[in-house]
Amino acid sequence: MSWVSGFFYDGETAGRHSVTVEMEEGAGALLLTGPTLDDVQRWPLHRLRALSDHARETSLTLTLHARTKDESLRVAARLIITDKDLIARLKKLCPDLSRQDMQVGSWQKIVKCSALAAGALALMVLVILPRMANTLAELIPVDREIAFGKSVTAQMETALGASKLGDLHCSNAEGNAALERLVARLTKGQALQYRPEVQVLNHKMVNAFAAPGGQIVMMRGLIDNATGPEAVAAVLAHEIGHVERRDATRHALRAAGSAGLLSMAMGDFTGGAIAVFLGERLLQASYTREAETEADAFALEMLNASGVDSTGMADFFNQMQKLEGQGPEVLNYFSTHPASASRAAQARGNAATQVETTPALNKKDWAALKAICG
Amino acid sequence: MGSGQISGQYVGKRGPLFGLAFTTALLTALTVGIYRFWGKTRIRRYIWSSVSGDGDAFEYTGTGVEKFLGFLVAMVVLAIYLGIIQTILFFFGLTLFTEAETMAQQAAQVLALNITFLAVVPLIFFAQYRARRYKLARTRWRGVRFGAEKAAWGYSWRAMLHGLVTLMSLGFLLPRQTFCLAKYKADRTWFGDAKFEQRGKWTGLYPAMKQLFFAGIILVLGAIVLAISGQGAVGQLVAGFFLLIIGFIWFMIGLVSYRVRSLDYLANHLVLEGQHGQVRFAASPMTGTVITTMIAGGLAASVLSGIALSLVALVTGAIWAVTGAIIGESAFQPGVTELVGLTAFAGLYIGALALSGGLILVLVTQPIIAHIVKTITVRNTGALAAIRQRASDRGADAEGFADALDVGGAF
Repeated sequence: MSWVSGFFYDGETAGRHSVTVEMEEGAGALLLTGPTLDDVQRWPLHRLRALSDHARETSLTLTLHARTKDESLRVAARLIITDKDLIARLKKLCPDLSRQDMQVGSWQKIVKCSALAAGALALMVLVILPRMANTLAELIPVDREIAFGKSVTAQMETALGASKLGDLHCSNAEGNAALERLVARLTKGQALQYRPEVQVLNHKMVNAFAAPGGQIVMMRGLIDNATGPEAVAAVLAHEIGHVERRDATRHALRAAGSAGLLSMAMGDFTGGAIAVFLGERLLQASYTREAETEADAFALEMLNASGVDSTGMADFFNQMQKLEGQGPEVLNYFSTHPASASRAAQARGNAATQVETTPALNKKDWAALKAICG
Repeated sequence: MGSGQISGQYVGKRGPLFGLAFTTALLTALTVGIYRFWGKTRIRRYIWSSVSGDGDAFEYTGTGVEKFLGFLVAMVVLAIYLGIIQTILFFFGLTLFTEAETMAQQAAQVLALNITFLAVVPLIFFAQYRARRYKLARTRWRGVRFGAEKAAWGYSWRAMLHGLVTLMSLGFLLPRQTFCLAKYKADRTWFGDAKFEQRGKWTGLYPAMKQLFFAGIILVLGAIVLAISGQGAVGQLVAGFFLLIIGFIWFMIGLVSYRVRSLDYLANHLVLEGQHGQVRFAASPMTGTVITTMIAGGLAASVLSGIALSLVALVTGAIWAVTGAIIGESAFQPGVTELVGLTAFAGLYIGALALSGGLILVLVTQPIIAHIVKTITVRNTGALAAIRQRASDRGADAEGFADALDVGGAF
């Protein structure tokens, strides 16, 4: 049996030892001897491991498998050989040469820690943060909340393209009076925490928002597309429902708390942005759908109390349904609002039980409201 | 003084590293991100093993498993901490709210609502130190471990204070920040039983700022020309903007120059205190080489990605067309072609990201590392042989916090 030369590092000091390496095939071991070595090193072939993903193609760095507490279950000593024949023979003789040994129990640890991390994340996002947001939303002084709401509507205006604040405000004497009468009729006899401040914005979007502190914004497009004053009344009642439940404030608190938690879990890996976007959409939808359902219930009660026919609400939802088009069912989980069809059915069911209703606004007032942006 | 000198060598090649980066990126996408811990580990093994001194390569001994576990533990801590702190900070932002009358007040309020980022800042520096400690604990040369002391919180508050001081001094105290933080880290770094020591003075870094000062002067001149130019003076207006653009480009080059030249200064004043003498270092990287590599490599990477992308887009388009033809008009179900198209698009998008990530690594990052390594020399290497092994460090969170907060970098 011939020998080849190599370099040996004993794992004790940073000194380099020149050694001769001999293969003892019968004993199944490599023998290392050298002038600077105290003892002959005998490395059993079945425990030999080679470093992987190595940049040097002409040499092989060897070490020994051992039950250490180390990260890699290997002894600290290293042997470097460059002899082509020996490298080839070792690759043939040692089946475990490129094995990546793992500490016993690693898989159990992975499963346990994954469950723990997923559980903690779910607990925070689904239970603790919503509860904290609910409690804190009640603690904010009303005047601060109104100031916050005004800044939200101001930002919304800027986002809709107002070059300076107030550019998009719709206001004229008759229109304002009609709107006031409508709000007064809805809120009459109700014990409300907030005085609703309704603002109509000149924009074609068919939508309305409830910002914190009673700030309600309605788009011109919604009034243009409404089948009658009852539809506008229903939307207003719905938004007042959000206001009373402090939904906007709670959502802002919740969003601030869970910001970045999902993207943290997914990391910045290739394609991760898509997964994070879908996840956040799903999460937000689950929050808001519940709030929408409760605001609907609030709106129906308000309409009943003020004697406004909820058929207008049903018509409005049917119209929304048409505008949305026929999306596949799965999209409901991603949508922030419950399905319009079921909301329309609920409003129609309620209308059947209503005994005495009168128009929400008289013809003249309704015409004035429709012309508020004119 | 003893004897012996070692020059740094780098043997890594483009082909194998690109293959490694591309496959690990694809595996990462396929496993919804989980493989990234193993991917980073494998790329590090390659790069570490490419660096050598005196023919002895460095070794990276970290494992993907420990990185993944560290990340999961960090997730638990961060989810609880960040969730609660962010909500409370936002709440206090809200309670400070008053009616905004001017645009400036409005802007101030938007800032107040984004106060939540304060919750992350101390953690980012903490994570950076911990990541450095983990990487050192998993680095070996001649079989002997590197290591760093546990001092992440001390680093975190110092880094925040220095950052604040630099900001308040309009950048004039940047050398103080760079030097003090580098010294804090170096003085807690070990190779075996030998400790590193950062010598020199923070004022020694001012020459490295030369280009930044020039850029500052040009920017100030540009601003002055713009300010004194009247409404009608087109020539002055053009001159002012021209100066600002030149100043900006100069500033960017100045930043690279500062990093390169401060590395030079710090390395030349670094000492490794062995039992049998001091080991000293020198590094002389060239700003020009680094900038040329960044520009030329970045351009080459974009062009190559562009060509490959167009080819793949053609093939995808063909697949889409063939699918449409096979299904046919009559048997056409709404959604099938869309599904095929969407899948092809997602695949294309992920492939493109993996490709350009790999190209940047191979054409920009690796050449810069290679250049810096090749300019490093180590003197009095006779003292190295007597350095003894140090105990293994569990590596705390295996840089899990850095991975969760995304401060780790590409590898």
